[in-house]
Amino acid sequence: MNGGVSLKKRNLFSILFALTLILGMLAACSNGKSQNTNTSENSNKEEKNEEHANKEPRQGGSLILGTTAAPSLFNPYYSTDTSSRAIENFIFSGLVTINREFKPEGDVAESWEVSDDGLKWTFKIRQGMKFHDGHDLTADDVIFSYSLPLHKDYKGPSGLPFQVIKEINKVDDYTVEFVLTEPYAPFITITATMGVLPKHILGDVPVEELGKNEFNTKKPIGSGPFKFAVWKEGQYVKVEAFDDYYAGRPYLDSIIYKIVPDANAIIAQLQAGDITYTSISPTNVSIAKKMADEGKLVLKSGVSNAWEYIGYNLRNPLFQDIKVRQALTHAIDRESIVQSVLDGAGEVAHGPGSPANWAFTEDVPKFDYDPKKASQMLEEAGWKKGSDGILEKDGKKFSFTLTTTSANDIRQQIATVAQQQLAEVGIEVKIELLEWSAYIEETTPPKWNFDAIVAGWSIGSDPDPTYFWHSKEIEQGLNYGAFSNPKVDELLEKNTQVSDIDERKAVISEAEKIVTEEQPYTFLYYPMSYLGHSPKLHGPEFSVANSYYDIHKWWMEE
Amino acid sequence: MINYIIRRTLLAIPLLFGITVVSFIIMQLAPGDPTALMIDPMIKKEDLEAYKEMYGLNDPIYVQYFTWLGNMLQGNFGESLIRQGTSVSELIFARLPNTLLLMVVSTIIAFLISIPLGILSATKQNKLSDYVITIISFLGVATPNFWFGLVLIMVFSVHLGWFPTGGVETLGSSFSILDRIHHLILPAFVLATADMAGLTRYTRSNMIEVLRQDYIRTARAKGFKQNKVIYKHGLKNALIPVITIFGLMLPSFIGGSVVVEKIFTWPGIGLLFFDAAFQRDYPVLMAITVIGSALVVLGNLIADILYAVFDPRIEY
Repeated sequence: MNGGVSLKKRNLFSILFALTLILGMLAACSNGKSQNTNTSENSNKEEKNEEHANKEPRQGGSLILGTTAAPSLFNPYYSTDTSSRAIENFIFSGLVTINREFKPEGDVAESWEVSDDGLKWTFKIRQGMKFHDGHDLTADDVIFSYSLPLHKDYKGPSGLPFQVIKEINKVDDYTVEFVLTEPYAPFITITATMGVLPKHILGDVPVEELGKNEFNTKKPIGSGPFKFAVWKEGQYVKVEAFDDYYAGRPYLDSIIYKIVPDANAIIAQLQAGDITYTSISPTNVSIAKKMADEGKLVLKSGVSNAWEYIGYNLRNPLFQDIKVRQALTHAIDRESIVQSVLDGAGEVAHGPGSPANWAFTEDVPKFDYDPKKASQMLEEAGWKKGSDGILEKDGKKFSFTLTTTSANDIRQQIATVAQQQLAEVGIEVKIELLEWSAYIEETTPPKWNFDAIVAGWSIGSDPDPTYFWHSKEIEQGLNYGAFSNPKVDELLEKNTQVSDIDERKAVISEAEKIVTEEQPYTFLYYPMSYLGHSPKLHGPEFSVANSYYDIHKWWMEE
Repeated sequence: MINYIIRRTLLAIPLLFGITVVSFIIMQLAPGDPTALMIDPMIKKEDLEAYKEMYGLNDPIYVQYFTWLGNMLQGNFGESLIRQGTSVSELIFARLPNTLLLMVVSTIIAFLISIPLGILSATKQNKLSDYVITIISFLGVATPNFWFGLVLIMVFSVHLGWFPTGGVETLGSSFSILDRIHHLILPAFVLATADMAGLTRYTRSNMIEVLRQDYIRTARAKGFKQNKVIYKHGLKNALIPVITIFGLMLPSFIGGSVVVEKIFTWPGIGLLFFDAAFQRDYPVLMAITVIGSALVVLGNLIADILYAVFDPRIEY
């Protein structure tokens, strides 16, 4: 996944680069490869792409991926970071994968069916699929893997998407049936994309010890297009083409996932040809554009599946009036934030979600920059200018602290801009910068020790917004601002139970419309992200859904 | 002498113990914990709690400390909290050779260049070569490592292609000494320049002071050659304070340099420590702190012993 690489330079810890923008990262942000269901369709796709038209794919070559963040381990049921997940997607195959448009495609599963009530999912497993050690992959491996998070001794981060599973049944060696407790639309894109582990290797390991098993760090074995070769601590992870991959051996001989902790060093290595594929941090976009103009780099970009916001703590009486919240948004010039802070690398947001995914709606109430209107609305809400120019009501000043993390330069700058703009309407803002871990501790449950925060969310392969807005997410979850609206709760509960995508989009849109009207947050912008690769590399496309889609078909010119 | 060494070593034990207590408490006082990096709607709060429970992060601090201490005394630095299933010693041993190589080589370069320059500067005091050396040293002190490193990479690696852009070895190649040296030159040089400036100035001022001493005047009066006066009588004495500097530099052999390691993609201890601090990977932090503090103690001891070697008046 690359939605979040937009932060800046300096001596910041690398994982933060990915994580600061993405305050939270959804599971399976980018799921690996896909399969070759329809050859004619695939060849059409290649012909359409003008760059590739005259060149024949070639076997060989090595893709060198540059990244600032080191992985931690390679077992999808235990890892939480983006680097580990990217590599897992080369090594493991899930029942399904998602394509560049978030649509599920068969991977280990050749096909699947869902019962009319949405409760029973039946997967037909591809026959003749092999693990990297030559063993056949069968229903037993699938059942073993997908039952793991349900096991009482399982200690890992992946429990949630499996909660809806009531039982998993083996119909025959190549058919598996899942029975759910309730219809759950994200089941196919989140749960069913989890990689299949080899039961013949891990079946006898006690579940509570699996997280620390050396399988995860020394010899992961899956059925994906690339097999694990070596992990050089602090340097790189190398995976090599798997000859018996079911969709054919990948064109690339190997992928080297290279850890380069400094964003400037990544650019230097890209220029020198020591890296052939990387996401470009916002500070380096101008250099990358220049390289692209000189023909040394192919630069691709798009809107990330993420949104940035200023979130208000609705527990604070200051923010309990809807008029006041709308006025705050009117007072903040988001267009100038995008232009001056981001150098144009973002799209002004009016509501939550992201244009990068299918559930996005533009049809939300808009509170454009209008400081006059903001002042007027604040006055209507009872706030009068005091002698020092700061708004007052019942003897209390309109003054609050805007908190963000020092790990994120962009958010710091946004805080400063917001401070100036809000001062113009008579609101006093103090800025508080906290180091990342401290920031998390202060702002999340059970402390919620903030007035307002500059933050952002990244969305996963399923756009379910329940986590951000449902009132049940207040006590423990990510609804830090304590937004609560019964109608929104109802719509959000409905959203995951609707299987029809258009109907589901309508439900999500309706919920987001209400949220936008209420303005619990000032929605700032949808960040752009950039991907740069060598002109000799063919195959990659910008995609927030699955950056490494069809990676077995990527190839390098000599 | 032997007695002195033993006494100093024994004294170091309570000192090191104190350091571990203080570091442990400070680390725990810092807000947040390793789960701060796992904010994800798909991760249940209970799962994070279970994770903390598994690593004993919810235990009272003294329980955590004594558990850690007990393991450490048996040579077990524990397991990384972030890299589940990877032992801390494994992480440190994978990176230690890189850091040692870089730091030792850069220190040697720094000494080899700066001591002669310092002597030259001192003997040609207020002459052109002295001014040139002084200006260059001040430039060296004032230039930030990260900037200098990036400039060297852009010029010598990207444009001229003489050196690799980073890393300790060519990707996927088998071990070769020449390849290692090739990768080592730029980062070692950048690190050395930072030390060089200071060392040159130190050597120069000490040398100037020594050359004003009566015994130097006596030596000259006796008709010794200028070179013999400077190198036999002057240098040895001028180097004594420089030894102190060396002792102070020793801990950085383990600590490494975050900035240079980062710019040159050099997988060393500095970066490991830096990352661990942000991730609140306590066992990694503690292990590096213990090794680092042991080296500080050792560095001071070595400096003291070297004093005795260079200055016969000192006895222990």
